[in-house]
Amino acid sequence: MTLTPQRHSGPDQGRTPEVLAPSPAPSAQSRRVGAQPWVMAAAVAVSVAGAALSLNGVLRGWAWYVPVLTTVCVVALAMAVLRSLRAQPFLVALGGFASLVFILTFTFFRRDSIAGFIPSGDTMAQLGRFLRRASETVLAESSPVAPNAGIVLVTCAVLGLVVILVDALAVPLALPATSGLGLLAVLVVPAMVKPQSVGPWGFAAAAAGYLMILACSQWFAPDNRTTADTARNPGQFRRAALTGGMALVITLLLPLAVPGFDQGTFPQGSRLNPWGSSTGLNPMISLGNSLRSPSGDGRITYASNASRPQYLRSVTVDRFDGDSWSPDDRDASRRVGVGRMDVGYEVLADEQVRTVTAIDTGRFTSPYLPVPYAPDSVNGLDGRWSWDPATLSIKGVDTNARNQQYVVQSTSPRLTPELLAESSAPVRGISEEFIRPPNNVPDIVRTTADTVTEGSRTAYAKAMAIQNYLRSVEFTYSLQSPVQGGYDGNGLSVLADFLTQKSGYCIHFASAMAVMARLEGIPSRIAVGYAPGRSTGATVSVPGQGALTEYEVDSRDAHAWPELYFQGLGWVAFEPTPSRGVVPDYASQASTPGGASTNENNDDLIPSSAATPGATPGATPVPLPGLDSSGEAEHALRLPLYGAAGILLLALLAASPRMVRAGLRSRRLRGSPSPGGSTAASAWAELRDLATDYGLAPGVSETPRHFSGRLRESGALGGPDGADDAGARAVASLTADFERQQYGRPAGIPESAALAGEPAAAVSAADRIARTQASLRRHSRLPQRLRAEWLPPSVMNRWGLIASAPVRAISRPAAKMGQAAARSWRTVRDGLRRLRQG
Amino acid sequence: MDSHRRTTVDEALPEGQSFPGGAGIVGNQLNGLKPPAMEAEAFHNASERILSAINTVIDGKAEAAKLALTVLLAQGHLLLEDVPGVGKTLLAKTLARTIDCSVSRIQFTPDLLPSDVTGVSIYNQASRLFEFRPGAVFANIVIGDEINRASAKTQSALLECMEEHQVTVDGDSYKLDEPFMVVATQNPIEMEGTYPLPEAQRDRFMARISMGYPDKDSEIEMLETHQATSPLTRVTAVVTSADVAAMIATVQRVYVSQAIKEYTVSIGRATRESAMLRLGASPRSMLQLLRAAKATAALEGRDFVLPDDVVSVAESVLAHRIILDRKAASTGETPHSVVRSILAKLPVPQDMSTQSRGGGQRSGPDLRHTR
Repeated sequence: MTLTPQRHSGPDQGRTPEVLAPSPAPSAQSRRVGAQPWVMAAAVAVSVAGAALSLNGVLRGWAWYVPVLTTVCVVALAMAVLRSLRAQPFLVALGGFASLVFILTFTFFRRDSIAGFIPSGDTMAQLGRFLRRASETVLAESSPVAPNAGIVLVTCAVLGLVVILVDALAVPLALPATSGLGLLAVLVVPAMVKPQSVGPWGFAAAAAGYLMILACSQWFAPDNRTTADTARNPGQFRRAALTGGMALVITLLLPLAVPGFDQGTFPQGSRLNPWGSSTGLNPMISLGNSLRSPSGDGRITYASNASRPQYLRSVTVDRFDGDSWSPDDRDASRRVGVGRMDVGYEVLADEQVRTVTAIDTGRFTSPYLPVPYAPDSVNGLDGRWSWDPATLSIKGVDTNARNQQYVVQSTSPRLTPELLAESSAPVRGISEEFIRPPNNVPDIVRTTADTVTEGSRTAYAKAMAIQNYLRSVEFTYSLQSPVQGGYDGNGLSVLADFLTQKSGYCIHFASAMAVMARLEGIPSRIAVGYAPGRSTGATVSVPGQGALTEYEVDSRDAHAWPELYFQGLGWVAFEPTPSRGVVPDYASQASTPGGASTNENNDDLIPSSAATPGATPGATPVPLPGLDSSGEAEHALRLPLYGAAGILLLALLAASPRMVRAGLRSRRLRGSPSPGGSTAASAWAELRDLATDYGLAPGVSETPRHFSGRLRESGALGGPDGADDAGARAVASLTADFERQQYGRPAGIPESAALAGEPAAAVSAADRIARTQASLRRHSRLPQRLRAEWLPPSVMNRWGLIASAPVRAISRPAAKMGQAAARSWRTVRDGLRRLRQG
Repeated sequence: MDSHRRTTVDEALPEGQSFPGGAGIVGNQLNGLKPPAMEAEAFHNASERILSAINTVIDGKAEAAKLALTVLLAQGHLLLEDVPGVGKTLLAKTLARTIDCSVSRIQFTPDLLPSDVTGVSIYNQASRLFEFRPGAVFANIVIGDEINRASAKTQSALLECMEEHQVTVDGDSYKLDEPFMVVATQNPIEMEGTYPLPEAQRDRFMARISMGYPDKDSEIEMLETHQATSPLTRVTAVVTSADVAAMIATVQRVYVSQAIKEYTVSIGRATRESAMLRLGASPRSMLQLLRAAKATAALEGRDFVLPDDVVSVAESVLAHRIILDRKAASTGETPHSVVRSILAKLPVPQDMSTQSRGGGQRSGPDLRHTR
């Protein structure tokens, strides 16, 4: 009842800082910095770190996750700090980048930097080494790769950049929905590389983070045109339900239309090798990938004077311990220079077969050179090459196998079953590594080996018993069942699964035979390379040999087979894999099921040689088991067709915001035929969206006149003195028309004209909109223009709003429930306290 | 005693407008037949003349002058509240001078009696009849100086006059002249021995204006112009009271769309629901807000009200009627700031589907606010 409080409302009323002027919400809100940077940074960090969870399986173990987590958190935190200090968006991104550099330096190059975190020249040198290491890892190793410093550095750097990207999309560019692209970039890698695709945890964490980003951006910077669209509006739920339902239907229907979805969860897609050419023949795991690869990449041609096609061997695997087998490079004992090589043991066979093979590797890329066993000399290579005396695997020192043409001289004893059976002398003269049985062999492997070889006396008999067992009808050849059974890979546990399921492909058969042989006392190793392949029908003239038949192999011929050591005869290849390769004469017996050669079966699996010789070999997919070969031509056509459809779909997806926007515009400007269909109103709606697209969104509490004035004065229509500009005039008249239509007398002046069906008003409204748009285009910079046209915020925000509708729908009752819980807890606590006191 | 009773009519009454007996008739005439509305151009010219005349006297206070004119045209009453010496009374006087109408000024003091305001019946010995002697309130524009210095009884005597435009003395009602406007001033400091206006009476003022100090240039110019003589003396009437009545009629005809009515009501409801307020805006204040908005629209040369009109007057119309919650007051909120924050949050109705379209085309921004 006193006037004192009103006294304060006197002269200083305009300076109260807390309160906004009754106008532009956006600009005023952007000046308020509260919890937003922190919550937003937390959301971004959670989403990226969550997406990174899915990289387990691409990288082995979890040790790499700590540096990744540190990097992500530090970058997000740095950007949040800068943002809370109200730095310019550009500076925030720059600061994020700087913090990324610092934390990477601190984590990886602490010793070689200034003060522990500032990069120096030494750091750069180290960085080069790390990057080389990483690229070697990518090229030579199979997933999951060992998390060495190089690959972890690359992972951290990429994820740090993703944090900056996601943050930039979500906050300064105000495209929270689009920020999912950054997360998608992270998820694509495991989806491509891992057999189990992304995995539930990584996906759930990334999705949760993404929803958090959407919710935060909606919370802190609500879309001005839709905040009034409260939960009370039933239309919102209808829209949300419609969108969700449509997404569900498409998810269910799409797999029926697109091939490759029909087996497992996206098995074909998950097999695409992301590292460019899939021809690296990264030993072991990538072998399965190569076999399943629908296109025969990495075609190698060779011509040989041997009587039958050759196995081409790249590398051997001889250590069967540990989770994952990989070739042992023995870099220390390698010798440079492949002009003259030596098997390193004495061969006592009567007759030696010398073969000359000319090989052209084409686009096949690998550090290892494919050669027939056992090479004496290799001529015609580019670059320096080294060979391993123990295994005769040839590896490039500073080069790789791409685009090499070379001639290999190889020697091997002419083997017969009798000769092998006679070889019973104890093994001498080879490394212990090939003899020592692995540790922790699963029981099933040992018992199977013992059962199978029971009654066999000689090493040869035992080897044959194992090979026959694996080639028996009990076992089936399948590229898919290991994936579905979850034992696609290698290692002793995989072997145990394989022997239980009795279904797999070459790597499983080869390793089973190698391990079982070693358990039975026969030295063994797994050779990885190519099965003989097919004749191309052409001949190649090799100097000194005349014309030789040419054969070709590609990634679908990738193969693994066991080599067993017989004293006096050396390493002898066996073929335990049914329906693949060629069983050598010495290893085939009358009792072998399926006969000596299984080329008929082979043809079923590799159709291009017999059925369609030379017809589009690059595009011929491996038919999945169970498909008959009659649909091959169709298959050949289908792939490019689907590729084109996919590209079209992607293009459509990318252009869809623009198309939606354009459709909306033309519908508005066409003028509605309904009575009183106010051209002014729809033109006004169009103007609002247009301004939103160019970053001048109207506020909810902003009057049309104020908005129009702000638009004209903002310089978006051409400078502060743009009053005489055509765009500014168009905006002014659009505003006037709309005001008259919206707030004026119902029988207003322009409305009567529109009612009479005179199209002049509509045309002029469309004209004015076009003029405004042209003016906006002319006076905006390129990035803004591109955004306005391809990712118009007016459309994207609406989509984001629809996408985040479930979150909003949940968050409000959740908050209420939380409050209620807190209240009842307080009541209970107070009651208890009173009880105790009373 | 007599020196305190300064109920003065200090402006010379224009010719032909004397009070005795005739006041009621004049009022009735004006109320009975509605004067024809003015043409838009004439309206504009008249308002321009009034405003420029005021601006020659008061430097740098165009906003206050315009608001005062708005209140006059909206048939409201104006409360000028500020520290002494910023030109409250000068504004009131100038506004009154520019219009060719009757003006009276009442200096409110603690011992001022109600009958001094309203008038009194005196026994005329010659005619042996009681004769009504009209008080100071019988004028087109009544300037009430320092209204909070009068007793509550005297203040409430103004109530009836302000609300009903009539005076009741001894059971007889006398109509007041039209246009009728009370411009009261009050001093927010030096509260000793004053009777602050009760809420009910504050609610009857359409708007409250704080003049505020002039800026530097205006103050220097003021020193120039006011040195020798008051420029007030040079002001002559630029419109007649009939003109003003016609202007008022014009304002009454300004069109108010459904959207604007909804917007106005939603402002009122927001003040009542606001957690920061102990007392929100009354329905009467909504009516006055809309009237003020109509006058603003007319002054802008429009025949329909825009949300901008409502926004532009809302602070002045609402701030003196609402009462802050104690908590909000302690956090430094003011009634003005609360009104501003309410306006900043309230969606402006510009939905295309409510009026003409039956919701068939939902392409426009969904702005239907469901309050």
